[in-house]
Amino acid sequence: MRIEISRSGGFAGMTRTWSLEVSPAEAEERWLPLADRAAEAPQGEETRPERDQRDRYVYHIVIGYQEVTLPESRLDEPWKELIERARRGPTG
Amino acid sequence: MHPHCSIVPPHLLAHLAAVDDPRHAVAARAARRALVQLDPLLAGREEAFAAPVPPRTAVGRPLERRISDAGGQEILPGTLVRGEGDAATGDAATDEAYDGLGATDALFRQVYGRASIDGAGLPLAATVHYGELYDNAFWDGERMVFGDGDGDVFGRFTRSLTVISHELTHGFTQYSTNLVYEGQSGALNESLSDVFGVLVEQHHLGQTVDQASWLVGEGVFTDQVQGRALRSLAAPGTAYDDDVLGRDPQPATMSDFVITTSDNGGVHINSGIPNHAFYLTALHLGGYAWERAGRIWFDAAVGGGIQANSGFRLFADVTQEAARARFGQNSEEHEAVRQAWAKVEVTG
Repeated sequence: MRIEISRSGGFAGMTRTWSLEVSPAEAEERWLPLADRAAEAPQGEETRPERDQRDRYVYHIVIGYQEVTLPESRLDEPWKELIERARRGPTG
Repeated sequence: MHPHCSIVPPHLLAHLAAVDDPRHAVAARAARRALVQLDPLLAGREEAFAAPVPPRTAVGRPLERRISDAGGQEILPGTLVRGEGDAATGDAATDEAYDGLGATDALFRQVYGRASIDGAGLPLAATVHYGELYDNAFWDGERMVFGDGDGDVFGRFTRSLTVISHELTHGFTQYSTNLVYEGQSGALNESLSDVFGVLVEQHHLGQTVDQASWLVGEGVFTDQVQGRALRSLAAPGTAYDDDVLGRDPQPATMSDFVITTSDNGGVHINSGIPNHAFYLTALHLGGYAWERAGRIWFDAAVGGGIQANSGFRLFADVTQEAARARFGQNSEEHEAVRQAWAKVEVTG
């Protein structure tokens, strides 16, 4: 399954896009449940940057049917790993 | 020394106190001592003549910088590596951050009479070497944070003074208008950082409107990128045009306003419009941009007329009012601001 990650904002305000292929099993087990949880979080909590943070990145991640928007300051470890893998791989 | 007998004005004392040249160490120490002893009321009066300072503002506290090193981790603040008055460390990022904070404080303090970003002498904190190949610089609400760049697109962010002054101005905005970081108010927040960001550099280099580059982030791209800088106030949309990264997306007028959900609603994109309005004002007035155009924008930012959720139109009105209040109805300055906002199509 293809996962697309686009990163906007940051000091430069430049949008970059990366993608990677994961097995359907990995998507089902690891990434879709995480995306579902993030998507269900109330607006203003998960999707907004922490108060007073400026020039940080905003990530938009599309996994199959699900898409989530996450400010950099709220990215926890599994997401960081996913983004790292996508950045290392060929750009889509 | 009796504090009331001081012949040296407080802003000069503050400047002396900030000198870190060992040849002037004795004078700097004396100045710091004098500042501590200075009658706060007297200091307050001096500052009041220089600029409109918000009421109940403590002034006279000298510049205090604290540079920390995150050592490649994403943990803040990191280890303190250079405090105020300490000698250069030899680490480029540390010393550039230290000098950049000094240059930014100099514009706000010496030109606009504001002691630090909060007007009350808040120490200025920065962290360098944040993260591994971290390709960003940001303001976290308390300090500036600088990555070393990925070496592919971006080099060291502290290489450009405008990046340091841009980040520190986010602190100034937090303590003045605190514009909400989304949509038009967010683009205004970004624009204030770009405007005072370039003014810090122009003031530092002694450049007139014609001599200045009006670029933000010149020198942070690696040689592999086709572009001079990240943004241009003189010609938004022309700072870079690269095969891989694409083209600078900034508009200069409302006709080209970008509606988007990314980048918190295009805060780094639509800032091109108020940026260009500032440039047009400065170009109209000529000379040193920080003296008249910058003063008007500063007055607008601290005057209380800007609301946290203000859009471009309100901001345009408040800057016109600030120009009228300081320089007079139908003055050259008032006219310059009015024409600039009309030209970028924010006002009719």
